[in-house]
Amino acid sequence: MPSSARPAKLFAVLMFAVMTTAPAGCFHPDEEGSIAPLAPAAGRIDPGLGPGTRALSSGPGYKGSPSWSPGGVRIAFTVDGYVVDKPTESGRLRRWTTRDFVARDTEWTSDDTLTMLGAAPASPSRGETGSSLYRAHTGGDSLKLEKIARGVLAMSPDPDGEGLCFAFDRGAYESGLALTRGSAEVFRIYSKPIEGRIASLSLSPDGDKVVMAVRPEGDAETSELRTFDLVTREEREVTQLDGKREILGTPQWTEQGLFFVAGKQSTSVDDDSSEPLYNLYRVPAKGGAPEPAPGVGEDFVAASISVSPDGSRLAVIGRLNPKSPTNLYVLGPATKSLEAVTTNEDMEIKTGPDDLMWSPDGKGVAIVARGTPSTEPEVRANPVDRLLRDFYNLYEIPVSGDTQR
Amino acid sequence: MRDVLFWLSGAALAFFITAGAFLLLANLATVPFEKSLTPDPGSGESGAAVELALDTERLAALRPLPDQSLDLKVKNAGATRLLDVNVVLTTFSENTAIPDTRFYRRTVEKVAAGGAADVHFEFDLSDPEQSAARLPASEPARKILEIRATTPEGISTVRTVILPP
Repeated sequence: MPSSARPAKLFAVLMFAVMTTAPAGCFHPDEEGSIAPLAPAAGRIDPGLGPGTRALSSGPGYKGSPSWSPGGVRIAFTVDGYVVDKPTESGRLRRWTTRDFVARDTEWTSDDTLTMLGAAPASPSRGETGSSLYRAHTGGDSLKLEKIARGVLAMSPDPDGEGLCFAFDRGAYESGLALTRGSAEVFRIYSKPIEGRIASLSLSPDGDKVVMAVRPEGDAETSELRTFDLVTREEREVTQLDGKREILGTPQWTEQGLFFVAGKQSTSVDDDSSEPLYNLYRVPAKGGAPEPAPGVGEDFVAASISVSPDGSRLAVIGRLNPKSPTNLYVLGPATKSLEAVTTNEDMEIKTGPDDLMWSPDGKGVAIVARGTPSTEPEVRANPVDRLLRDFYNLYEIPVSGDTQR
Repeated sequence: MRDVLFWLSGAALAFFITAGAFLLLANLATVPFEKSLTPDPGSGESGAAVELALDTERLAALRPLPDQSLDLKVKNAGATRLLDVNVVLTTFSENTAIPDTRFYRRTVEKVAAGGAADVHFEFDLSDPEQSAARLPASEPARKILEIRATTPEGISTVRTVILPP
């Protein structure tokens, strides 16, 4: 080999080495193992409601009426009367109404439409009374509400999450029923009046029938249970309570009949407090005498109930006896078994009829709870918007399917 | 034979030069990433150099009325002197629909390492006039005090006080 060829060959070797090692340097092993994301503030926690509980909100405000979006990725609720929603995993609140709007209830009627039952600021000039039904959509101005109906007494979401049924006042102790779907206008008003004033209603799991708690004319209590078939338009009186007993909250339609909470409202502090005020009852949908719900025990004090999306289970907020703490239970009407989902001793669980709701997949229940307030000033080392137990907040409680069938 | 040794030594030399160059570049490139991972001191509940001490007896004496006062201590838990610590007291109602948030601010000019400084606030805890107009809750709303001390470097400590109704 001539000696003049050596520098050229050495240059070639150097270039070969550069070309083969340069791509290797582009693959930085540590870049693939990216920085772990911070745990969301509303992660899995145990606030005294059992393992696996997830906080869905935080900070102050009187919260209620949780409502999952049909896809289960967002949850809407009321805070001090106004309506907000947020992602269930983590994320910021989105406000749907102004602070002067007073919402009684809110329900999703599609993944981007929220329907609210409430009242805008009082306007004496308009002469309007009672609650109205409003609707708002994502994408535009979320604070812009569209009024659907006035004089609305109660509403219930459709099991498929794409609409709702509502009752309205027809005057002279008559009520009416109507259906609305998604983002459309009211598309069906049932002309047949319902005698009495509808206090609450809910739909059957197939969405074809309505069960209603009704206050008859001349009665001081909501004492009547009625059903209405939205397909055949047949109305039926299922049962009427006697002895000044009243139906509390919203009756529920399960695969094993109708369930409702009823009892005699205490009118005097001298009443015997050893007797449970409200019991859970079951009655066949075709009518008959109500019987205590099988499986809950005779001392059980029921407060509010909600049927699972498939109609096979009933979430019940109540107490095992008048002196025990309030907890969440799941009743399997078919198996007649009652499962204690929470066994908390120190959290106050809200017992309002709209304060519990199943997740769309039936794997959890949203409830509203807080720690027992202190009579002394409480000092916390966190900003107020991160505090959980000090205020009513929403929690998702995981529910097993053990009571099912 | 000499040619073979020449080629082998040349290839090895080129490899080490190139590998060294890439290692140098890789080390230089990682410096800014490490810097950006420094935790945000803004929320600072732990490891903060500034601490707040509240007198629980004074807190218990607060009422939802005008002309309330509160004394607290700003403590320097660090090893260096703190200058210009901002202390902000925010008062508001548990009812978030009531727009009665009020802010009060004091500045502590100097806190020696391991020392403390007194801060005095006078403030209004009375209810706004329209607050009774709409309360969905069946119980009166509680008053909340949020006290945040922040150093010029952004290190802060917060205490939230929830007063019984």
